[in-house]
Amino acid sequence: MALESAHMSRRTLLGGGAAVATVSALGVGVAAAPAAEAATVAVIRKVTMLKVVAFRYNAATHVTTVTKATKTTVIARFYGAKIYLKNAKGAWIQVPYVWSPAKKAIVFSRYLQLQLAAAAAAAAAAANPTSGIRVIPPATFASTTAYRSTDWARHLLNRAGYGPTPADLAAVKAAGYAGWLEHQLNAATVVDTECAAILARLPDQSLPIWRVRHGIENGTISGWEQFQAVLSDYTARALWSKRQLLTVMEDFWGNHFNVTIYADGTAESRAHYSHTIRTHAFGKFTDLLTAVTKHPSMLTYLNNRDSTAEHPNENQGRELLELHTVGVDAGYGEAGVLSSARLLTGIGVDSDSGEFAYQPWNHWTGAVNVLGFSHANASDTGGESVVNAYLYYLAHHPATAHRLATKLAVRFVSDTPSASLVTMLANVYLKSDTAIAPVLRALFSSNEFAHSIGAKVARPFESVISIARLMQITPVSTTLDSTASLVWIAERAGHNPFGQPFPTGQPDTADAWESTASTLERWNNVLRVVAGWDPSSNDVIRPPLYNVVIGATLPATHGELVDHVATNLFGRTVSDAHKTAVLAFLGASATQPVTSGSAAVNWVLPSFVTVLLDSPYQSLR
Amino acid sequence: MTQTLNPDRTCCEEGTRASAFTRRSLLKAVGLGTVAIAAGPMVGMRAAFAADPGWTGDTLVVLSLRGGFDGLSAIAPIGDPAYATWRPGIAVPAASAFQLDSMFGMHPGLSALQPLWNANKLAFVHAAGMSAPNRSHFSAMDEMERAAPGTSARTGWLDRAVGLHAAGGPFGAVQMGSSSIPESLVGPVPVLGMDTIGSFNLAGAGNASQRTTWTNALDALHSDAPPGLQDSASTTLAALGTAATLAATPYVPSGGATYANNDIADALKNAAQLIKAAVGLRVLTIDLGNWDMHAGLGTVNNGWMHDKLVELGGALAAFATDLGSFLDTTTLVTISEFGRRVEENQSGGVDHGWGNAMLVLGGHVVSSVHGTWPGLAKANLTDGDLTVTTDYRAVLADILVNRTGATTSQVKEIFPTYDGTTIGITAP
Repeated sequence: MALESAHMSRRTLLGGGAAVATVSALGVGVAAAPAAEAATVAVIRKVTMLKVVAFRYNAATHVTTVTKATKTTVIARFYGAKIYLKNAKGAWIQVPYVWSPAKKAIVFSRYLQLQLAAAAAAAAAAANPTSGIRVIPPATFASTTAYRSTDWARHLLNRAGYGPTPADLAAVKAAGYAGWLEHQLNAATVVDTECAAILARLPDQSLPIWRVRHGIENGTISGWEQFQAVLSDYTARALWSKRQLLTVMEDFWGNHFNVTIYADGTAESRAHYSHTIRTHAFGKFTDLLTAVTKHPSMLTYLNNRDSTAEHPNENQGRELLELHTVGVDAGYGEAGVLSSARLLTGIGVDSDSGEFAYQPWNHWTGAVNVLGFSHANASDTGGESVVNAYLYYLAHHPATAHRLATKLAVRFVSDTPSASLVTMLANVYLKSDTAIAPVLRALFSSNEFAHSIGAKVARPFESVISIARLMQITPVSTTLDSTASLVWIAERAGHNPFGQPFPTGQPDTADAWESTASTLERWNNVLRVVAGWDPSSNDVIRPPLYNVVIGATLPATHGELVDHVATNLFGRTVSDAHKTAVLAFLGASATQPVTSGSAAVNWVLPSFVTVLLDSPYQSLR
Repeated sequence: MTQTLNPDRTCCEEGTRASAFTRRSLLKAVGLGTVAIAAGPMVGMRAAFAADPGWTGDTLVVLSLRGGFDGLSAIAPIGDPAYATWRPGIAVPAASAFQLDSMFGMHPGLSALQPLWNANKLAFVHAAGMSAPNRSHFSAMDEMERAAPGTSARTGWLDRAVGLHAAGGPFGAVQMGSSSIPESLVGPVPVLGMDTIGSFNLAGAGNASQRTTWTNALDALHSDAPPGLQDSASTTLAALGTAATLAATPYVPSGGATYANNDIADALKNAAQLIKAAVGLRVLTIDLGNWDMHAGLGTVNNGWMHDKLVELGGALAAFATDLGSFLDTTTLVTISEFGRRVEENQSGGVDHGWGNAMLVLGGHVVSSVHGTWPGLAKANLTDGDLTVTTDYRAVLADILVNRTGATTSQVKEIFPTYDGTTIGITAP
């Protein structure tokens, strides 16, 4: 009876020998019915089907005229006006047919077929919001400085990675501009077995927080080592992972959502926090924001776990607006901060397990309004769903789009990206339902990116890692102390990964890193790595410097030697004036012959390479 | 437009720009362009920065006692009847202390400081601290050094204090003893962190001739760089020249000062050398850790606290002696993230607390134990902690106004949510 009553409301027209149906009342459905339907009103019966062979369709009236059909008998599932047939795998799939009482059969509807196709496309787009946006290689590349050539492969590795290695340069060129980036954006498709084997020596960051907490409590896990492992894992990925862009994004989001390493109370959850950030690095910002906001590391660092209805702690509620989403100029005011903090009450940490827990007894109830997000927020038990809606709202806010677009442009393009680039990226972000991969695709397809070669200055950690990559160091099998060593020397230059003591994360623009101390230590770090002082020879295997920068053929003169070494390091020679300066450094004339005994290729070689790598040929990227 | 929305920079953008601009302008104005530095960095630096038109006050030295200094041991309230009751095992006995006034006695470990007290070069403030308790090391240091509660400021108070003035040279703000910059100096003002003056050098340049070779090459290689990168290279090379000149002659402390062989003495010795060299030093920060004495604090005559105080007192006394007349233009102040719990715990130590003692050393201090003593009777404590009666910013503001020439409105810029002025710890 359910079937009969359901299609009573449907207007069905039949004409001539053809089945004609209008099904505009059907609307857009999804292909698969929810499981609950079958238990309530669905009816399954044997029925006649007029299987379409040929038809005409009037797009204006939505009327389908079937001109040829074959009669067959099928088992169909009826639910409302929808009709399902089993596919080859035995699953009920909605078909573009409607019930004709006059024909006592199911008949084809082109209109319904179009509706179903549209719905399927929409569902696919929702599942993969990146569809439709692809990397389009820019037509031309241009350098902003005399120090850098227009080599696109080096440009990609300098921005979407931690600098070139011979192997990675070859891989980028083999895959092509778009091909390499697409793999990077789908990091799981990048074969990374060597790095995975290295990372397997470190604690498993996907381990549930409660297990780590338990381990710390019973003494089987060291909390201090948990922090150090976060740094080792990140540094190892920067050095040796083929998934370079994923690691760059771990740094980007890790600073955007900074939880300072060694912060009180975060030992048990900090590794899992890094894991969480990597999981969502290219996905929807909504998902990343939600995961981070509810993560025990963040809830501990910004005190939301201690925030209650009676005594709201404003820390996380404020930073959620100011740092994580819309930005301080969005206009939410102090009242907005208070509402934000009140909204977040109850988003807490279970004191027993250390895992996230929604604690309704701590949730403040009452109407809230932040930047146009308003909610009655009437029940304590409903607080978490209000928070979810609030986070969704903030992630989709145009101010958030603009802020994230700006930060991404500053990270990948230049310290002063154009307003038009930022607007374009913000639009992609909003149209992609906050997905990040399409924004990066649009960014890497932009002329502004292609024409920004050399516009960024390597920060101290980036500098250290890029030198270590150039020197092609790899870890010995017994220890990963080399990563700690590189973190330590970067910290000497003021850039300790995830170590900014404020929730802001580290600055991303050159002017913040121009201090005397930072510059000196950056230079000294180059020599430390090139000369083999850091990391210790006990910790890494390094090919001889001679092999890396000179190779099989020794140039004939000192002038040619400078060109040869510069080309091996930078993919280009240095200017005449700079060559003169380097020759003066070597105390040799351009025409002076080089022999296997020349100082420049022996004991002076580390200094020679260092003075080149201290220069803007390396530090401008 | 896009820059102001860069989230890392939102609050500091203008300051950063202004700083970079004025720094460059100053370099040009005093004839320290790239060419001048390359030609003779050491001579130029010394001459230029001795004047330092941007800063006319004392060199301000901030000594951070990391871990939570126990002011109740160092400057013991021996006149408070509750003191010995709360701390039966670790209280400083009145008989052992150096009597400062009717209430306070100085721990005998600090005996090296007695002459400075007698000479009116040393003052204390007791029951000082932040306006609300914060017993987490990390967040208390953050809050104390940011010194802008209730605001979104992302800079440290010393950065703001120095940043009020025209930009100085590379030695304007120095962290001595380590190259990691304290939170109080986070911000746009360039900071130079060094282990020692001698270690501030190019790793590849072992002697003066090699230094010249490196300097010439690095200077030339930066010739086409963008201004920021070029300037940082130039100033770094100039600072290297200055440091090398200072390090070239073995340093002999003045006045017969003898520094012990430990980190704090080394840092203060290097600080004294920099101060006397007139390299444009405005603020200098030093860290002295290992004060987190939850267990085994020791007795008045030996143990953890005693040894730390001997180390601290000896180094400060040598520093003051070494400075000689330069002490007249130097003010040193100690801060610590929190004081310790009044009551001794079961392990012979003290847990994290609130109110604390601060030490001020300089040529123009008013020797006294300043502040209002809240008393140690249980009713006067705050959750078992010494109640703060003097905001630590009042102490710093007093020094900034009296000794560095800051105006009331400048104090308001340095401590945006604090309304206060001098309280007489130092003299103008």
